[in-house]
Amino acid sequence: MKLSHEERWDLIDMISRETVSFGAYRHTLKDAIGELTIKPLTGIPIAIAVMYGFWSVFGSFAGFFTDGFFVRFFDAYWLPWLQEVFPGQGSFLYTIMVDAGGIESGEFVLSSNCLESFGVLTSGLFVAIGVVLPAIIIFYLTLALLEDIGYMPRLAVLIDTMLHKIGLHGYAIVPTILSLGCNVPGVAATRILETKKQRFIMMTLLAIFIPCGAQIGIMQDVVPDLMGWILLYLIIGYFIFGYILNKVIPGRAPEFLIDVPPYRRPMLSNIGKKVGGRVRGFFVVALPFVMLGCAIVGVLYQFGVIRFLGDLLAPIFVGWFGVPAETAGPLIAAFLRKDLAVAQLSVIEMTKYQMITAVVLVSIYFPCVATFAMMLKEGWKELIGALAVLVVTVFAYGGLIHLIGKLLGVA
Amino acid sequence: MAGQSTSQTSQTSSSSSASPVAVIYFAILGIVTVAAGLTDLLVTASGSEFAYGILEVPNDLFRGGWGGLIMLFAGLLYLSGVRNMDDIHQFAKVTMGSILIWIIAGCDIFARITESIPSYSEETGPWFNTLPGFIEAYAPPYAPAVLLLPFSLVVLYYISKRASGETRGGNSS
Repeated sequence: MKLSHEERWDLIDMISRETVSFGAYRHTLKDAIGELTIKPLTGIPIAIAVMYGFWSVFGSFAGFFTDGFFVRFFDAYWLPWLQEVFPGQGSFLYTIMVDAGGIESGEFVLSSNCLESFGVLTSGLFVAIGVVLPAIIIFYLTLALLEDIGYMPRLAVLIDTMLHKIGLHGYAIVPTILSLGCNVPGVAATRILETKKQRFIMMTLLAIFIPCGAQIGIMQDVVPDLMGWILLYLIIGYFIFGYILNKVIPGRAPEFLIDVPPYRRPMLSNIGKKVGGRVRGFFVVALPFVMLGCAIVGVLYQFGVIRFLGDLLAPIFVGWFGVPAETAGPLIAAFLRKDLAVAQLSVIEMTKYQMITAVVLVSIYFPCVATFAMMLKEGWKELIGALAVLVVTVFAYGGLIHLIGKLLGVA
Repeated sequence: MAGQSTSQTSQTSSSSSASPVAVIYFAILGIVTVAAGLTDLLVTASGSEFAYGILEVPNDLFRGGWGGLIMLFAGLLYLSGVRNMDDIHQFAKVTMGSILIWIIAGCDIFARITESIPSYSEETGPWFNTLPGFIEAYAPPYAPAVLLLPFSLVVLYYISKRASGETRGGNSS
């Protein structure tokens, strides 16, 4: 039996009359607040406040553990102990595992803190446990809270119009925010986008403009005053290059349909499971790369590869990007460990604007090895395309930031 | 289109809960909050420091700039919500104004708590702050949002009043 369009609706009506009972619905305060958070006029100020809370809690919590306890534990106890008990001071293995140190008047000098030692067991462990772990835990905790309360779908609706300008839609906020914790789950989450075009744009923007928790943690630690400017440049770049990619890349960018749930009281067990799973995932997938990255950076420094490349590329860094020649080394090392590169940059003497440029360059540089592997999993064509966009972006945006600085007279 | 029907009917609650006192109270709170937000923004823009008694206006880009903007929004939400506050949507604006203040003040208080516990010493020594140091961390001056926090909590009384009014209304209907 084939029903016409009208007959089908009549049948639906009949079934609903038999099965659904209708009652009067009284609007509650929760409903009214839910509506306020979706309407742009009130929703945007609320979103700005939620993001403020997010970053403020992030900074306080991460600072509490990192500056309050871990810096001291690693610098005053762990590093001196390892420097003393690890055999073969100054040997190749010692420099890779414990302390690359420095040479002063022909003598090997030990580092005074874990950010400068560049050993797998010192810098590697400090970054992984002392900096990244508190940052990742509080990041995923607040994210899980916002998800469970029911705020994230509202944020997706609110930002939908803006993201359509760059070929994405509201759901793209999920991989974007996830990437602020770790780019690896962020890249995996691009699968929620429907078309190849959207997934490519999202993956490319994540790899270039979204700093991960490790990098944000280090930035918060070593250049806290410049965080706002750095993030501002990254957000602007995210939208400029997203807009360009949307115009250049062929394909569809469909609308999205989302069911906005009512606000609910978050369940502790749910939050525990989400945070536990994500932190565990980070440790299993990304952490080995943090340690491996430290080891490779150490080896490359020992063999003089980074110095050689730094000297070779220094004219480009100085002339095109307007940063001091000394930053060439850390910027090359950023291919492997962005967080350590930021730490290295923080001890180089330069102007505020040069520091902002250098840290933005580190951020928009090559994605970390773990993200690289994840992007490869999504398809080698996409990876090559993303890398091509990345190279162009680094030169274009890095040069543009330098130009802005020159025009403002601060570069 | 034939057969399309809504599954629920929306109705605006208008249980009478907002007295003239409440309207005046939240209007004044709104004006004060707007003033606090503007002061935050101006002090941040000028790069100067401003402290008076137990009040200290933050002048950094994050707390003074971003936070000041949110205080301004909170004040505007209060002011736009006080007219016809019996309407649930208008009352929601007043509630949201308070929630924004709670976010700013809550973050400030959380920051004080996290700063008050460790000793922040990089050398060997006590890991935790001394008791006087711990207590001192909570001493004034305070940011405008923290000072406005107790006044913003009054909204909870009106929320509970409205909730009890709705329960009575619900029971009687």
